[in-house]
Amino acid sequence: MASIQYKKASCIYPGSDKLAVDSLSLDIQDGEFVVLVGPSGSGKSTALRMLAGLEDIDEGHIEIGGKDMVGVPSKDRDIAMVFQNYALYPNKTVAENMGFALKLRGVSAEERRKKVEDAAKILDLTEFLDRKPAKLSGGQRQRVAMGRAIVREPQVFCMDEPLSNLDAKLRVQTRTQIAALQRRLGTTTVYVTHDQVEAMTMGDRVAVLRFGKLQQFASPNDLYDKPANAFVAGFIGSPAMNLVTVPVTENGVKIGDGTMELERADLTKISDAGLNEVTIGIRPEVLEISDSVGVDVVVDLVEDLGSEAFVYTHAGSGVELVARCNPRTAPNLADSVKLRRHPDGTVHLFHPKTGERLN
Amino acid sequence: MTVTADTDAAASEEAVAERVRKIREAQDVGVSRAEGWRRRLPLLPALIFMIVVTQIPFLFTLYYSTLSWNLVRPGSRKFVGLNNYIAVAKDSQFWRVGLNTVVLIVVVVLVSAFLGLLIALLLDRAFLGRGVVRTLLITPFLITPVAAALVWKTTLLDASNGIFNWVLSLVGAGPVDWIGKFPLTMVMVVLIWQWTPFMMLLILAGLQSMPRDILEAGRVDGAGAFQLFRELTLAHLRRFIELGVVLGAIYLVNTFDAIYMMTQGGPGIASANLPFYIYQRAFLGFDMGQAAAMGVVVVIFTMIIASFALRLIFKSFTGKEEAA
Amino acid sequence: MTTTAEKSTEATAPAVASKKKSRKFSPWGLVAWLVGLGFFFPVFWMVLTAFKSEGDAATNPPKLFFTPTLDQFKAVFEQGIGPAMLNSIFATGISTILVLLLGVPAAFALSLRPVRKTQDGLFFFMSTKMLPIVAAILPLYVIVSNIGMLDNIWSLVILYTSMNLPIAVWMMRSFFLEVPGELLEAASLDGASLMRSVREVILPLVSPGIAATALICVIFAWNEFFFAVNLTAVNAQTMPVYLVGFIAGEGQYWAVLSAAATITALPVILCGWFAQNKLVRGLSFGAIK
Repeated sequence: MASIQYKKASCIYPGSDKLAVDSLSLDIQDGEFVVLVGPSGSGKSTALRMLAGLEDIDEGHIEIGGKDMVGVPSKDRDIAMVFQNYALYPNKTVAENMGFALKLRGVSAEERRKKVEDAAKILDLTEFLDRKPAKLSGGQRQRVAMGRAIVREPQVFCMDEPLSNLDAKLRVQTRTQIAALQRRLGTTTVYVTHDQVEAMTMGDRVAVLRFGKLQQFASPNDLYDKPANAFVAGFIGSPAMNLVTVPVTENGVKIGDGTMELERADLTKISDAGLNEVTIGIRPEVLEISDSVGVDVVVDLVEDLGSEAFVYTHAGSGVELVARCNPRTAPNLADSVKLRRHPDGTVHLFHPKTGERLN
Repeated sequence: MTVTADTDAAASEEAVAERVRKIREAQDVGVSRAEGWRRRLPLLPALIFMIVVTQIPFLFTLYYSTLSWNLVRPGSRKFVGLNNYIAVAKDSQFWRVGLNTVVLIVVVVLVSAFLGLLIALLLDRAFLGRGVVRTLLITPFLITPVAAALVWKTTLLDASNGIFNWVLSLVGAGPVDWIGKFPLTMVMVVLIWQWTPFMMLLILAGLQSMPRDILEAGRVDGAGAFQLFRELTLAHLRRFIELGVVLGAIYLVNTFDAIYMMTQGGPGIASANLPFYIYQRAFLGFDMGQAAAMGVVVVIFTMIIASFALRLIFKSFTGKEEAA
Repeated sequence: MTTTAEKSTEATAPAVASKKKSRKFSPWGLVAWLVGLGFFFPVFWMVLTAFKSEGDAATNPPKLFFTPTLDQFKAVFEQGIGPAMLNSIFATGISTILVLLLGVPAAFALSLRPVRKTQDGLFFFMSTKMLPIVAAILPLYVIVSNIGMLDNIWSLVILYTSMNLPIAVWMMRSFFLEVPGELLEAASLDGASLMRSVREVILPLVSPGIAATALICVIFAWNEFFFAVNLTAVNAQTMPVYLVGFIAGEGQYWAVLSAAATITALPVILCGWFAQNKLVRGLSFGAIK
């Protein structure tokens, strides 16, 4: 168990011109479950691999438990990693796979067996201990990969998209198991995924990356309620937040053919920044269908999920808006309805060019 | 506003490029020092061994080729410069034999590749006893070449009691002196017999590595069997056929056993190839200088062709690695 | 009712059977059999003739049925095939071991830990194979004779090693390349040094490939004739050379010649048959993916 600090760490792949990870700085507490999330190419896997020692730290530092890891090889870092494709040793049984690290450290066969059996019990692998990976299903292999990491009782767990090769149902199931396991063991964990749902449900704090740069590092709630820029706003939450760049008027902004009013404080911020256009962000659940006031829109598609429904619409001038509504009272295709902002709902304002948060 | 944003962007781009440059410099230096040598170390024993055993003798060959030297007349060694080469150039037998060599390589490689393709196609579908048939088919490749040549020469091709002539007699055709009348051709037949399995195995590997869904997509799109073969299968197989052709050619340059056993190069030099001819010069005629010069000429020609071949193998293989 | 039920089970049964082995009679299968038998025929005939008496061997028309005899084999052994056999085993075995000892580290260096000059190293290895051996035989003969190693089996051992090393490195490199990089990373995170990773993770995975490579080396070394005939005389002659010498003595006696040929060729043929899958794997040079 240890704290982890990324201090302006950067990495370039040999032969490439681009910084895969650009000056990443993160302060991770001991015992925390941190998720690195972002689209492909965002550098999240690279950042994880830098921590594990599988990629060089080309600039800056990474510290584990206060010790600088620059120049320290993987085998000396006391980190366990769960790979996306599991990387199980094909010629060893499940028990041997899980016990390999201990064997290398010279742990006695007795103790090895006990530790392996304990971990196998937690992960429900006891009946598979003598099988080889080829004879296991995908889900079982994934658990063996986890088991291999747990047995080592390392300072840090690294997990590189461990759920992406599982089918949807198994993914949800395993997600909760991993989170529960980590809470029970208390080991500092860095977890990489491209799936923002995983990020939001599993992490104590989540770091959103894009093109190698950190966008925001905060708790899931903070990311959801106060995204630091338009990218984070649009990345977190499904369906995505409505983000439209619209002209500013006296009292608010012009959406489609109508106007949406804004708070005084927000309008001040916009004029302080000297903008006549602003990107506003409104979550679908903040928009509701109204009879009276609102923006005129035409319904393009209704997604009925049973517990809620999402209405995809477009306003004049091509602006597209998604709103949440009750599935029993959802409008029909091609209906003309009005959308208005829920009076208590938050409107996020971003700079139209830089994407930075304004309010 | 827009102005500062742009210049800001430009300035930071430069800063980024500078950092990238610094890092790349450090990377380049980092790997090539001690780590680089440590990584090369396992390669060294094999490398040194090969250089000593193959390259150094060749240097000697170059040296010998400038001498007039006959092994049975010791003390006759003297430097004659390029005289041997001139003699080789004037030696019409040498060029005749060279032509034989080229004909032999080209015909054997092409015919065995073609036959190998046909047989691979046959073996690609499952049928009863496919494994046994494959076992039967690889046997010609396994059998000792001199033993094979012996069997062909005696029991199969013999003018009086060979099986070929017996089969001919069943349809009333006269006995043929196969080896006497068609020496080079018969050598080529034996070589084709031995090399077709090799080509077949390579191409079969290619066929079995081909993803089937492309063929299914083609069929759904309306392509007939022959079109599927020509457009999709053949394109995929090209890499394997090329590899087979190149490797086969490399080995066939050195063909010696079959000629030694079946025809001794004869009649005259009708079925001799360059290795055999040089062998005769060196070990039967004991004319080292001439033989060496011939050897060098052969190497030069082979290197020209080999450089194309190596580029071909590497292109198709690194291409595969990139694609994968 | 019963007829339709029977029909439906008939319909499903072949579908299940074809998953295991195709018992369907297919015309192309027949053609394949004919081709296979045709290619195999000379070998079959060689072995058959080895069991004939001389009278039965060179007849017109050729005899398929006869009383078999082991006399020919006895004659071959009596003429002293033992030393040649031992020489072949020695040269083939030792050279293959040397090839593996030199080639496995080389292939490893060229695949798993590439440096900038990797392509050049590989290029060099392959290019040595392309050198016509006839160009090297002259100085080799002179050198070997000068150091007194003519007719010494060790000369062949060295030469066979150099003959097989390029192909072996090429093949083994392709097998090394198939090891997923992630496995090495996992091993290094588990705390394994490079040597340990190689021993516990890589070698087990690569061992079928190494076996295939060894088999190919055995085939080429055992069957080799050119070096053997020029650099050996009586003491160090290998089986192929012995066979040729045998002909000089026995000329037209086909049966005993066939026996000698069979004994010469059989070991490698059997090896190849039993390790067939490895052989096919090796020959495809990892070109399959």
